[in-house]
Amino acid sequence: MKVVVCARPRLILLLMLSLLLAAPAWAGDGPPEIQVWPDVVEIGAFFNGHEVKVIGKIPQGAQAVIEITGQVATEHLMRKGRRGGLWMNVGELEVQGAPSIYLAASTTPPLLKDPPAGAVWGYPALKQQIRFAGRVEQGEREYFLDQFFQLKESDEVYAILPGDLKVKGGSGDSQTVTGAFPLPTAVKPGTYRVCLTVVQGGQVIAKQNSDLKVVMVGFPAMLASLAYGHGATYGILAVIIAIVTGFAMGYLFKGGGGH
Amino acid sequence: MSLSLYLPLAGNSINILLLFGLGGLVGFLSGVFGVGGGFLLTPLLIMVGIPSTVAAASDSNQIVAASTSGTYAHYRLGNVDFKMGIILIVGGVLGGTLGVYLIKALRAMGDADFVIKITYVVMLGVIGGYMFVESLQSIRQKPVESKRTVTEPAKVSLYTRLVQSLPYQMKFEKSGVTLSPLMPLILGVFVGILAAIMGVGGGFIMVPVMVYMLRMPMHVVVGTSLFQILFTCINVTIMQSITNFTVDLVLALILLLGSTIGAQFGVRLSKRLKGDQLKILLASIVLLVMVQMLVSLVLPPHLMLAHKGGH
Repeated sequence: MKVVVCARPRLILLLMLSLLLAAPAWAGDGPPEIQVWPDVVEIGAFFNGHEVKVIGKIPQGAQAVIEITGQVATEHLMRKGRRGGLWMNVGELEVQGAPSIYLAASTTPPLLKDPPAGAVWGYPALKQQIRFAGRVEQGEREYFLDQFFQLKESDEVYAILPGDLKVKGGSGDSQTVTGAFPLPTAVKPGTYRVCLTVVQGGQVIAKQNSDLKVVMVGFPAMLASLAYGHGATYGILAVIIAIVTGFAMGYLFKGGGGH
Repeated sequence: MSLSLYLPLAGNSINILLLFGLGGLVGFLSGVFGVGGGFLLTPLLIMVGIPSTVAAASDSNQIVAASTSGTYAHYRLGNVDFKMGIILIVGGVLGGTLGVYLIKALRAMGDADFVIKITYVVMLGVIGGYMFVESLQSIRQKPVESKRTVTEPAKVSLYTRLVQSLPYQMKFEKSGVTLSPLMPLILGVFVGILAAIMGVGGGFIMVPVMVYMLRMPMHVVVGTSLFQILFTCINVTIMQSITNFTVDLVLALILLLGSTIGAQFGVRLSKRLKGDQLKILLASIVLLVMVQMLVSLVLPPHLMLAHKGGH
C-alpha cells in the first residue's frame, strides 16, 4: 500500500515533466506557439520607444499574421471643413471600438494588403468594429475610416507591415516566424494583446495569444502619480520650482554683470 | 546615453536639445519684448509632437519662470509699474473668467474654433499691422526720439478727452501718466477675454494696449507686462494641474531652463534697442505668426481629421 502511494505521484511527475519538455516543439495538431520579447516594456526617464520581437511556430506551408493590439477606447476627434473660405475644425467626431495601438505584420504581403474576405486581421477587420458618432453622415463612413487610419499612422500608433515576418524552415513539420514591432514613444502603460493567426489556404487554422505589458517606472511613474493623485500639490510645486528657477537664473546673470 | 527624454504627462519622448533650444528662443523674445511667448511656443511644441492641451498648460508653467526672471531683471532696472500691473491683473483675471465661460458657450454651439481662428487672425493682423506702420513712420520721422507721454499730443483727440473724463484720476509715477484706474481695469478685462478665447497669456495684446491706449513708455511696458503675465500664468498652471492634469513638469523644466537663459539675453538686447526698433521687431513677429495662421486656414489640410484640443 505504501509503495503504491509513492509510485503514483512519481508517475504523475514523470508524465508532467515529459509533457513540459515536449511543449516547445511544434506538434502538428497542437496549438501554434508564440513568444514575446521583452514581455514587459518599461517606460523610464529615457524611454524612446522600444522594439518588441515576436517569435512564433507554425506548421510547414502555412502563413501567419502577428498583431499587437491596444485596449479599445472611445476617442474624440475633430473633423475639418471649410467655412467662409477658411479650413478649420467644424465638428466633433466620436470614434468607438478602435484600439489605442494596432501593429500588424504578415509572412506574405497580400495577407495584409489584400486580405481574404472575412479576415479577422488588418484594417478591413478593424473597419468592421469601428463605429462613428457625432457629425458624420452615413455616406462619409468609409472616407473617415481611411482618414482615421492615416491620422493614426501619422501618430505612429498604427502600422501595417506586409511581408515583414521572417520565415525560417524549422525541423519536422514546423517553421518559425519572427517579427520586429516598433512600439511607439506614445505607447501608454497597460496590457497589450499579441496575437498569432495561422492561415492556410485562406482559412484560419489556429490562433494563439500572449500578453505584452507596458509599465511606467522610476521618475516618470513618480511624477505621473503625483500629478494625477495630488493635482493641487503638483501645481503649486510646479509654480514654486518655476519661480525659484526664474530667480536663480536672474541672480546668476546678475553675477555675470550686465545691469 | 539617449538624448531623448520621456515626458510622463505628455505621454511622449522628445529630444532634450530641441526642447532647450525652443525654450531659449522664446525666452529671448520674452526678455526683449515683454511678451510671454505663449502664442509662439505652444504652436512650436505642437509641431514637435506634444499634445496641444499639454503644450498650452506646460507652456504656462515655463512662462512663470521666464517672466519671474524677466520681471526681476526689469525690476532691477526700475522698469516695473506695480500699481498699473496690479490693476491690469485684477482686470485680466475678471476678463479671463468671463472668456472661459464665453468659450464654453461657443463650444456648445459648435462655433468655438471658427471664433478662435478669426479672433487670432484679426487681432494679430490689426495689432501687428498698426504697430509696424506706426513704428516705421516714427523711425522715419524721428530716428532718435521714441519716448512718449500723455502730455505730448498738440491737439487733444476724442480718445484722450474720453480718457481724461473718466472719474478717479490717479497718477502712475513710474509710467509718468495720469489715468482713471477704470481704464487699465477695463482694458485688463478686454485682454483677459481675448487671452482666454485665444488660449494664451495675452502679453502680445497687452503690450500694444499699454503702449497705445495707456500711453505708457515702452521700457516700463515691457517690465509691467512681464509682471502681469507672471501672475496670470501662476493661476493657469495651478488651475490646469487641478482640473486637466496637463502640466508636464519635465517638459516645463527643460523649457524654463532654456527660456530663463534666453530671457536674460533678451533683456540685455532690449536695453540696446530703441523703443521703435523693439516695436517694429515685435510687429514683424506678430505679422509672421498671423500669415502662417492665415496660410494654414486657406490651404486645404493634409488630413480631414484632427485630435481634439488644438485650435
